[in-house]
Amino acid sequence: MGTVKVGLAVEDDSGLDSRVSSRFGRAPYLAIVELEDGEIGGVRVVENPGASARSGAGIKAVQRLLEEGVRVAVAGAFGPNAMTALEELGIETVELAGVSVEEALQRIRTKLQGQ
Amino acid sequence: MMVSVSGGKGGTGKSTVAVNLAALLSRDLRLVLADLDVENPNDHILLGAELAGERPVNIMLPFVNYQKCIKCGACGRVCDTGAMLISPDGLPYVIPRLCSGCRSCYFACPVDAIVEGKRTIGYTYLSELELGESKITLVTGSLREGEEHTPPVVLAARRRALSVEADLHLVDTSAGTSNSVAAAVDGSRLLIAVTEPTPLGLHDLDLILEMAQTLGIEAWVVINRAGIGPEDDHVRLVRERGAEIVARIPYSRRVVESYIRGVPIVLHRPDSPEAEEFRRLAEMVRGVVS
Repeated sequence: MGTVKVGLAVEDDSGLDSRVSSRFGRAPYLAIVELEDGEIGGVRVVENPGASARSGAGIKAVQRLLEEGVRVAVAGAFGPNAMTALEELGIETVELAGVSVEEALQRIRTKLQGQ
Repeated sequence: MMVSVSGGKGGTGKSTVAVNLAALLSRDLRLVLADLDVENPNDHILLGAELAGERPVNIMLPFVNYQKCIKCGACGRVCDTGAMLISPDGLPYVIPRLCSGCRSCYFACPVDAIVEGKRTIGYTYLSELELGESKITLVTGSLREGEEHTPPVVLAARRRALSVEADLHLVDTSAGTSNSVAAAVDGSRLLIAVTEPTPLGLHDLDLILEMAQTLGIEAWVVINRAGIGPEDDHVRLVRERGAEIVARIPYSRRVVESYIRGVPIVLHRPDSPEAEEFRRLAEMVRGVVS
């Protein structure tokens, strides 16, 4: 199954312990996780440009994930603009919040194995 | 001369004050009422009038010539509203609803691949109406449903209102203190801030008075629904901000009745204490205009 990059909207910058945010566009950070054959290869937490955007926050977050080559996006909820863009671009969305990045990845592992 | 009616908080009675002042002041002044609350224009409803003379408000909408595009991403980097999404293959996609029509992408593109199109985001109207003995010109701005960029519509309606010669341009703004409100009231001789005796009314009054101070516009305060709560903090705030409470409209069922009928209370119930207070306020405004 090779390498898959997952982008998670998170509330804090604590690596795999970061909490997945209930919102996508306005979450303060984005965690970028590389999964190699289902195993966590590496995690980086970057600032979400959408957090400070005056408008179009969701699109700015999507743009950042695209730059990272992310194929799966995770957040508690996605706004209409972000959802439209992600669907158009063929990026899978998973709605999940209130858990750590590590837990979130475990929960969606079966889904990711289809990638 | 321009006089604005604003107030910060939504639902305080800005439009009620504006239409009653318009009805009174138009008796001996040539008056244009500009309804610049473009997300929710309702002066025509309160005046029982029909909107007429529709004109579209268009803004620039970028299109991409994909044969010219070199996938440099410059358009996406300069876009402030997130309307230009750069896909993984490097090509830009326009999301029209987010675009404010600022043209940054057009100027940033090094190969002229951005083509100027246009999009209608709202309309302006101009209605001539008769109110009892007098006549007024009502100019209305209206944002299309689903759109979010109000300033172009506010400015277009303001321009249209100012293009009509008059002794007094009376401007009714939206709630808040956004750049749309600042653009609406800019250049006014006087700002009439309508508030109500509630904690939220107090909070938003502070914001609108600060805005008036920043813009250098003299502010008068009208307390609407007077009697429903304490006004001590309002009195203190208005003094601190160097403004003045000039009128208190009593909380009354008659105001609601005239609202529902679409007839300003000064015409519907001219004998009421509310109408008397509006007449007193109108006299004060007339003193400023002449």
